[in-house]
Amino acid sequence: MRRYVLLRTLSIVPALLGVSVAVFLLVRLIPGTVVDQMVGTEGSYSEESMRALRAFFGLDAPIHVQYARWLGAVLRGDLGTSWRTGMPVVQMIVSRLEVTVELTLAAMLVALAVGVPLGMLSARRENTGLDHLVRLVSLFSLSVPVFWQASMLILAVSLWLNWAPAVDFVSLTRDPLRNLAIIALPGLALGTAVAAVFMRMTRSSVLEVMRQDYVRTARAKGVAEPGVLWRHALKNSLIPLITVAGVQMGYLLGGAVITEEVFTLPGVGRLLLWAVFQRDYPLVQGTILFISALFMLSNLLVDLLYAYVDPRIRYG
Amino acid sequence: MTHPRSARLSRRQFLALSASAAALAAAPAAAQSRRGGTFISAKTTEAPSLDPIMEQALSRQRLDPLFYNRLVEWGHDGKLEPVLAESWTTSADGRTWTFKLRRGVKFHNGRELVSEDVKYTYERILDPKVGSGGRGYLSAIDHIELPDAQTVRIVTKQPSASLLAGMAGGWSAIVAREAVEKSDLRRTAMGTGPFILQEWMPQSHLKARRNPDYWDKSKPAVDAVEIKVIPDEANIIAQLRTGNIHHALLEDNKNYLLVKDDKRLRAMRAPRLGFDMVNINHGRKPYTDLRVRQALSLAVDRTEVLQAAAAGLGSVTGPLTPAMRPWALSADAFKEWYTPNLDRARKLLADAGFPSGFKTTLKVIPTFPTMVAGAQVIAAQLKKIGVDVQIIQEEYGVWIKAIIKPNFDFDLTMNATTGDADPDSLFYRRFHSSEKQWNNDGDPDVDVLLDQGRTTLDPARRKDVYDKVQRLMVDKAIQIWTFAPDMIDVTQAGVQYQQHFTTNYYGFRTVALDK
Repeated sequence: MRRYVLLRTLSIVPALLGVSVAVFLLVRLIPGTVVDQMVGTEGSYSEESMRALRAFFGLDAPIHVQYARWLGAVLRGDLGTSWRTGMPVVQMIVSRLEVTVELTLAAMLVALAVGVPLGMLSARRENTGLDHLVRLVSLFSLSVPVFWQASMLILAVSLWLNWAPAVDFVSLTRDPLRNLAIIALPGLALGTAVAAVFMRMTRSSVLEVMRQDYVRTARAKGVAEPGVLWRHALKNSLIPLITVAGVQMGYLLGGAVITEEVFTLPGVGRLLLWAVFQRDYPLVQGTILFISALFMLSNLLVDLLYAYVDPRIRYG
Repeated sequence: MTHPRSARLSRRQFLALSASAAALAAAPAAAQSRRGGTFISAKTTEAPSLDPIMEQALSRQRLDPLFYNRLVEWGHDGKLEPVLAESWTTSADGRTWTFKLRRGVKFHNGRELVSEDVKYTYERILDPKVGSGGRGYLSAIDHIELPDAQTVRIVTKQPSASLLAGMAGGWSAIVAREAVEKSDLRRTAMGTGPFILQEWMPQSHLKARRNPDYWDKSKPAVDAVEIKVIPDEANIIAQLRTGNIHHALLEDNKNYLLVKDDKRLRAMRAPRLGFDMVNINHGRKPYTDLRVRQALSLAVDRTEVLQAAAAGLGSVTGPLTPAMRPWALSADAFKEWYTPNLDRARKLLADAGFPSGFKTTLKVIPTFPTMVAGAQVIAAQLKKIGVDVQIIQEEYGVWIKAIIKPNFDFDLTMNATTGDADPDSLFYRRFHSSEKQWNNDGDPDVDVLLDQGRTTLDPARRKDVYDKVQRLMVDKAIQIWTFAPDMIDVTQAGVQYQQHFTTNYYGFRTVALDK
């Protein structure tokens, strides 16, 4: 097991290296550079000034030299400086991490609290009116884009309660109540979208398990129905849910760009989007590398959880 | 001791007089008195960097009057006012300008401003190796001499009518040398301005507190300023209505209609320096032909464009916008071309060899609401003279790359500019053939006038030159000027806010909160 963990962790390194090459090239495929962004079209810059700016950002060097310089710095633990803001990339990411992590946890909490019970209920009452209703709602929630859902939520709350969600993020440690008030609405908006996924997964998984022989045996032994569901069926139907939850967690940690944008939360997703628009290469590269690492780590965690939850799964 | 005149006043007269004198004296004092509080404003767009010498973004230019001063600055009445320079003189040949600096002005680090700072700032802007976009504004400067720590002598290459405007312009904030060399002005601010930068989180918020050592003791009236970035203007309106913020400058004028009748809010309109336009690529057929450009100009109904793009909140404009008093000619001066005349337009097209029109493309940036709405109206209008316009949406960065020199990859494109307070600063770098922006065909007649306008110091003669330029540029349909949207600021009803429409700046230096 220890060997597995070690190998599995080490496998992240070549993957990250691949990501670094891909993102380095991809971001340069978008037309326009940071210099074009800076000069705009007002005609305030001469050719000479533009050359000076290109040299300042090192854009005049061949692309492999640029990559080597960047990777060299990254390997030494330096993600570089944002071209636009002049701030260290690490600092910019870290300052936005709290929002993203909190939003992810809030959304996961909502999704699990809503999705799993509903999925179980739906499975228990298979093909009844309730089942159809729950499935319909989840289908709706899956189909409606999150930006619409989020905007409607803001509109509804501001119209009915005459209250607009605050736009200045306050750290949980500084003012817990205010922080929760800020994170609640976006957490709800994002969480309901994920809840639909969990609900469908739980439903089908529980249904499958309920048809297993050991469930029939349990029933034959005279175990009461709640016991069958909670003690026998639920645990076993959790495994696929862990996979889905792990992947969703990875996605969310990568930044729920749209939700952050609509609710004006300074998270990692918005930072990345802005960096792309600004053609701030070090910031784009650094942020994507960071997000990829998080994604890979959350997948690793899922793999390890498997072994814990299902004793049948062992790694050689 | 009795004053001889007061003896002749009755007691009643004396009281009335002194009361009105007191009121007169109190009025400006009240407007400027310190009332404290934190003033909160919101905006949709964000300055990517705070560097006054390197950052082009208008959002940066709007911010830096908080942190910086210029030698001279535009007042609310559109006249230049002495700020860091207390006074100045010009030599008889108009080439040597001597500025006396205000004494006791301090940077935020406590060091006193000296003439060396002015020289350092201007030379940094002018240094081609630095790559500042402000170079063109100060390009008249030949060299700078420093007779003493409080005097700056600027010698120009030729008499320059726009030097002071350049010094008051968006790029000429005076910075402290040590801040450039030891720090990074992209993420810090080190000037002599009324506020000190406290915290800046890009794309989120900026906080600044009152500078207690500001040289103008009457300013600022508030203790702190906080600026929030809220990307969605509908959300900004919601924040205004619920009282979470004090102020916002609207980007999409249509939103004015949502707040104008709200008693809790005050919505203010003023003319704006910036304007919307359609650039025509003179390097591409059929726009090499003057008649084709004129036909387009005649087919475009600018009032309709203004209505669709900015809910009519603005004015149809010629090459200089109404905010540029006293330079701008009103739109009436161009009625030959501004009154839509489809028959004449069709005839011009036929004369140019396109009796049944032609196909062309029009680029827009989807995140600029006025451009998108304007483009659709213009496409429909041009359709009437047989010009089949295909609208192409391009992301901002992609669009810039296509539009700028030397690529010029467009037929027609919607464009918007922040404008400028001085006609030379606005025109020369865009329309003189030596600059050739947006691929405007250099026009020898326009060139001559632009060169004259630069060096004509007498205001009346200078105005005459720019009147001619405006008419000539519209006649030649160098591009299609459409409209200048109003500058719309919305505040809570209890906020005293004065719009600084003679520049693009915020009026945060004088803002006061009712308590």
